[in-house]
Amino acid sequence: MTDKGLEGDGPAIDVRGLSKSFGPLTALDSVDLTIPRGAVFGLLGPNGAGKTTTVRILNGVLDPTSVTKIDVLGHDLRREAEAVRPQVGVQTDTNLYERLSARENLSAFGRLYGMDTPSSRSRADELLEMFGLTDRGAERVERFSKGMKQKLLIARALVAHPRLVYLDEPTAGLDPEASHELMTYITRVSREAHTTFFITSHRLDEMEGVCTAVAVLDDGRIRASGPPEQVAREAVPRVRVRVTPRVGSDMTAGDLTTLPGVKEILSLDGAFAVDLVREDAVPSFLRAVVALPFDLLGVAEEPPTLQEAYLALVGNHPARADGQVV
Amino acid sequence: MRWSRAWTVAVKDMRETFSTMQLVAPLVVVPIVVVVGYPTVFLLALRLTPGSVEGLQGFLGGFPDSAVPAFALATSAARAAYVAVVYLFAGFFLLVPVMVSTVVAANSFAGEKERRTLEGLLYTPVSDAELVVGKISAAFVPTIVFTWGCFAVYSAIVALLGVPVVGRVFFPTANWWALMLLLVPAVSLLVISIVVLVSAKARGFQEANAIGGSVILPVIGLVAAQASGLMVLSTGLVAGTALVFALADVALLYLIVSVFKRSRIVSFLP
Repeated sequence: MTDKGLEGDGPAIDVRGLSKSFGPLTALDSVDLTIPRGAVFGLLGPNGAGKTTTVRILNGVLDPTSVTKIDVLGHDLRREAEAVRPQVGVQTDTNLYERLSARENLSAFGRLYGMDTPSSRSRADELLEMFGLTDRGAERVERFSKGMKQKLLIARALVAHPRLVYLDEPTAGLDPEASHELMTYITRVSREAHTTFFITSHRLDEMEGVCTAVAVLDDGRIRASGPPEQVAREAVPRVRVRVTPRVGSDMTAGDLTTLPGVKEILSLDGAFAVDLVREDAVPSFLRAVVALPFDLLGVAEEPPTLQEAYLALVGNHPARADGQVV
Repeated sequence: MRWSRAWTVAVKDMRETFSTMQLVAPLVVVPIVVVVGYPTVFLLALRLTPGSVEGLQGFLGGFPDSAVPAFALATSAARAAYVAVVYLFAGFFLLVPVMVSTVVAANSFAGEKERRTLEGLLYTPVSDAELVVGKISAAFVPTIVFTWGCFAVYSAIVALLGVPVVGRVFFPTANWWALMLLLVPAVSLLVISIVVLVSAKARGFQEANAIGGSVILPVIGLVAAQASGLMVLSTGLVAGTALVFALADVALLYLIVSVFKRSRIVSFLP
């Protein structure tokens, strides 16, 4: 028997026209998402944008109000959710079983995914080692710090070697070292094992570094989607060049103002961010800047960041007044 | 239905439930008082102070002699011991499973929702039916084991303290076997089913426990009816009641399995 989900063809997630309403509240409005297999996808958005609802629907635990197509790992989720779940690991903002040990938390989930007892225990030990929790494996989770619990939640999502992993704010509570290790792990596994990661996060710098594609969700609608740099350029249509003079140089903003194509100059700490009028003004500006009588440490294009794009798309969006998580 | 996954859910729940003294202590203390304390004091009083029987006449006098075998009518003390052991305390043994199953089931369903662990479980490949069966088993198995354990202890107390008063081995009687093997499981399942249905909408453990615990009221009525002689828990009555409860169990379990859907549960989560 051939399992469509294991063939590896077609996108990991293919959704068309996904809408969800809770009474008068529209949580998702005609959302389209196509996520290739092996991608690290980041769903970005303010609190209440509809991220949790999207994850719940894509896992078949919440019914959409309407949807044209909802395929996950090659299966129509409306009819074949049972075939999808064994291939998916989910870490959301939920809790662990506090009165069980770390090892018991992992091995119980392994068995729920169909592993036999020895396999589930061995996988639990493997994950405890991977997340640096081996020494605490026999301890009740209630004694764990927030960061340790977060590691265990992520480990739990990986227990059955899933082909698709949902991670909700995975680095919340983790120290910078652990966050970096996690991001490295995600990149490695997505490339080597072709595992697809679906991450929701507010840490835009991390998302920019790890994601191969992102989508910005706001008020239940996808505002932009694509590779992070593409989303950033489309959302922030500016051309910026960073000019860094040698330390101690007497270069001033005034020296740059008269150069061709310059629109605006921001003085930074020891450097200048020069916004140009158009992209085709870059070559003539670069020629002019290097011709100036100052020693330069660097002249480089400074593309817009994902954070700038996010703020441009979403703005200072307040959380929903009713506090409801959608 | 994959029973091994349902059992994994049950084992996980049982470990969680019985790993905290907060939950275990009241479950153990109350039955010990009711099932061990009351009978022990009662039978010791009959043995050590035979005159105390006279004081019980108003209480047990109304009980029909037709429900008491001839050998237990030989003395007032024997009659009192037989009536109390076989009929009066039987009602207490319904309080035990009602109490245990209410607390354990409320902890398993509403408690898991309250502790925000349920959503993680809903993402696993466990089917809706396996989840329900697992969680019902997590409440049903300890309830039955604990009640039968209490029954064993009670039987030992009766053998030690009751048999000398009555003059011969008379316990367990047929109505008690029917009580333990038919009525206790049927009542436990009924209570668990009600708690499960309530838990879907309850905000937390306390609310589910309070609403589910209201099932205890008719059981208290049954105990009172026994004590006043209005009702005799004969084997036929016990078996008949168990049959009615079993039919209610089947209907409720069918209802639960058909309405328990992930999407419905998730909509009640924060």
